[in-house]
Formats: sequence, C-alpha cells, structure tokens
Amino acid sequence: MIREEKIQIPFNFAAGTSGSRFLTALRDSQVILGAKCNVCTHVTVPLKSFCPSCCSDDLAEMELPAKGRLISWTDCPGRGAFALIQLGDKGPILLHRLIIPPSVMLSELNPGMPVTAHFSDSPKGHISDLQGFVISEK
Amino acid sequence: MSERSVVIAGTGQVCPVAEDNRSIAEMVLEAVESALSDAGIDHNDIDSVVTASVDIIDGLTASNIAVTEVVGAVMKPETRIAADGLCAAIHAACQIWSGAYDTVLVVAHAKTSMAPFQDLMQWAMDPIYLQPLGVDFLTCAGLQAQLIAAGDPGAERRWAEIAARRINAVSDNLSLTEDDILSSPILASPLRRDMCAPMGDSACAVVLRADTDNKDGRPRISGIGHDLEPHGLGDRDLRSWSGLKRASNRAYTMAGIDDPATAFEVVEPSCLYPHEEQLFLAAAGLDEKANLSLSGGLFSGHAPIVAGLSRLATASKAIEGIDGKALAHGTWGPAGQGQAVIILEGAGA
Ligand SMILES: [Zn+2]
Repeated sequence: MIREEKIQIPFNFAAGTSGSRFLTALRDSQVILGAKCNVCTHVTVPLKSFCPSCCSDDLAEMELPAKGRLISWTDCPGRGAFALIQLGDKGPILLHRLIIPPSVMLSELNPGMPVTAHFSDSPKGHISDLQGFVISEK
Repeated sequence: MSERSVVIAGTGQVCPVAEDNRSIAEMVLEAVESALSDAGIDHNDIDSVVTASVDIIDGLTASNIAVTEVVGAVMKPETRIAADGLCAAIHAACQIWSGAYDTVLVVAHAKTSMAPFQDLMQWAMDPIYLQPLGVDFLTCAGLQAQLIAAGDPGAERRWAEIAARRINAVSDNLSLTEDDILSSPILASPLRRDMCAPMGDSACAVVLRADTDNKDGRPRISGIGHDLEPHGLGDRDLRSWSGLKRASNRAYTMAGIDDPATAFEVVEPSCLYPHEEQLFLAAAGLDEKANLSLSGGLFSGHAPIVAGLSRLATASKAIEGIDGKALAHGTWGPAGQGQAVIILEGAGA
C-alpha cells in the first residue's frame, strides 16, 4: 500500500545580509554583486559575507559586468539550459540559466563565447530578476 | 597505525531495484540480518550503531528515527551521518580505533522511488540562488561533463564505450555498443540516459570489529580519508575532483601506499557517469589499468547514500581470503562535492 502525499509547507529562507544586498542591487539597479577575498584573492559571486575558499570575512565587494563568457553549459530537455558564466576578465563564475536563441544550435556553443545578462521587466528581489544569460546571435 | 585493527566482520546488501515494495525499515532489516549473519553475531554483540541517511530523500526529518529499532539502536549509542554511507563507515572505524567500542554496525539506506528524484535534489541546492532556478545534481553533472568534454573531441565516444562496458559487465545477456549509448536520449548534455547509472531503492549494512589477531582472516581497514569542496560550482575547479585527491592522499599516507597505480587488486568507485570515472582515476592517482568496477559498479543499480557503503561491502568480499588491497570510494553532493575513501587490506588465505 502507498499513502500518497504532496509535501507543501510555507517556508521563509533568509538570504542574509550579503544575500539581501545582492538581491536588492539586482532588483533596483540591475547590478550583479560579487566579492574578492582580501586574504586569498578568491573571487566569488553572488556576494558573500565569507570567502568560500578560505573562510575569511575580509572581502571587497565588486560590481560585476552584465556581460561574460561561457565556461560550461548543459541542455536538459524539458527543463531548459544552464551555464557557468565568467563575469569579467578573471572574474568569478556564476551558475545560472542559459538562453539559447532559436538561430543558435547547441552544437555551435563553444567555451569563451560571449553572453549577456537578461534582466526581468518586473524585478522583485529574487534570483530570477536575472532571467539568465543570452548567447549573442550570429 | 594503531595495533588495534578494524576488520570488516560482515556485510549485507539489499540489491538496488527501481522500486522495492517494502518499507525502508523492512529493507534495512534484510541488510542488517544479512550482515549480522555474515559476521556470525547478533544484536547483543553490537556496541554502537552509525547510520547514514538523508532526510529529503526519505521525506522525513531525522530520517534515522525511522530505523532506530531495526538497526538495534534502542538503548545503544547511535550516530547519524547525513552523507554517503562510506563516511558512516569511516566514523565507525574511528570509534573503534579510539577504543570507545569494539563492534560497530554501519547502515545506509535510500528509497528514491518515493518521489521524483530530480525535483527532490533541487532542495539539496542553495535555496536562494540555485533551487529557484531548477538546478539539481544532474544539471551539475552535465555542467562538469561539458567542461571536461570541451577541447576533447573524443570524450563522448570514450565515455559511451565506458558506459557500455559497465552495463555489459552487469549481465551476460547484455552487449550494448557505443552507438547504442550515443543514441539514447540526452538528459543533461552531454550526458545521455544510458551514460547514467540506474537509480533505485537499496540498503546496506556492514559490521566493523576490533581485532588484534585477525583470526578469521577478514579484510582490515588500513586507510581512511574524506574531504569536501565548496558547494558552489563557480567556487571550484570542476576539471578535477580535488576533494578526492586530498581524501585519497590521506588514506594512502595512513595505509603506507606510495604507488597507488599498482597497489590495488580491486577498485570500487562510486561513479554515476563515465566522466566521473575519468575524474576518479586522475584524482586517486590511478590509470586505465586499474581493476575498476569489474561487476559493473553503480551501473548494476545504485541508491545515493547507500552507494559508497555498498562499494565497501563489494570490495571487502572481493579480497576476502586473498593477500591484496582494495579501494572503496563514496561521494555525495553536487558534482562530487563530498568525497570519501577507505583502503582495505586482505589477510591472505
Ligand atoms: Zn579567501
């Protein structure tokens, strides 16, 4: 016998101080905030209160460009495409959605291809205020 | 190395199937009874229990409370590890080396048929930045595979050949080719359906015991290591499993292994996809000549969390009674974030 259930519970995830700052900048200014560690020089995005590489809390906030280059990608039929995008020269790498225009074939994607951030018209302080990165059309 | 050896006294596995009609506790019961019987002991001989499970897979918080009775942990010390079962075995071995307990039962379970696994695993990702995008473990594996495949035009065909070899090793009736693998549908490019080890419901139990004279010739644990990488894929170098490199080096140092490439009779990695075998070999200092997953590894079926402990059970049986070493590997989290290694040494005939 099976007891069928659908687990649905209202839940409020705290973005935290740095996360709230990141989401606010995204919502109000279409700006992507990251950070560089003053101890080990690791760069990271989204903005964090601590370095994911060395645990230091001494980080310098960075405004990252809305253009980047493709590091890796994956197409999941029925679920869309995802990519790792490097924001700026030697900048941090963001995992987000990849928007592939109909004119571009999956097989035409290459590491290093330029991509541009696509922002939502109705931002609400959510990671989807950044809708994804668009492959530049040929 | 402590003179108090830890031996694999008994193992019990419930073979993974796509859907086991029993409850979690009933599956665990079979694994535990089988491990105790293999060790020739009963629950009264167990001093302590270490379990491995993950709440989100069970749809239940504190998922170990559902198996407390069936693992015999009532009125006994039980420790629960929310990571791969091989990590539970590492903690159990440390309990014995410390002198705290002599005989420890290690149990891992997962019943993935209870919910859509990909949807569930989105809740194992960061809830602010990744879960809302629909990122899951398969997405992360696809991103890692694509990164490795870039600039290596032969990668996909080579991975298809590895997947075919693992699948064909599971049964005499199977003879898939690379083209068969490459014609299966894409799940997360470049990963295709038949490049992914099939998932299901499983449980595994292992009895670890202190042994000073190793009178019954069971394999002993000669090295352990585990390690974590950052959660975010952008915060690590996905071209290698550096966590596994550190974990295996710790285990090799402890076991006194200088040349891992020639050290092992049996290597049982927890690789879900062929590109992970490539990452595994490089990080563990092995090459293509290693006796890897000779019975198909996780391609014979697997359940997360159980996988690493089942690799330990399989590796232990493979070197029982022979004078040789084996390596068991477990991993958990997105794209190999968590890594664990145990080295076994056979006692000879
Ligand atoms: Zn740092």
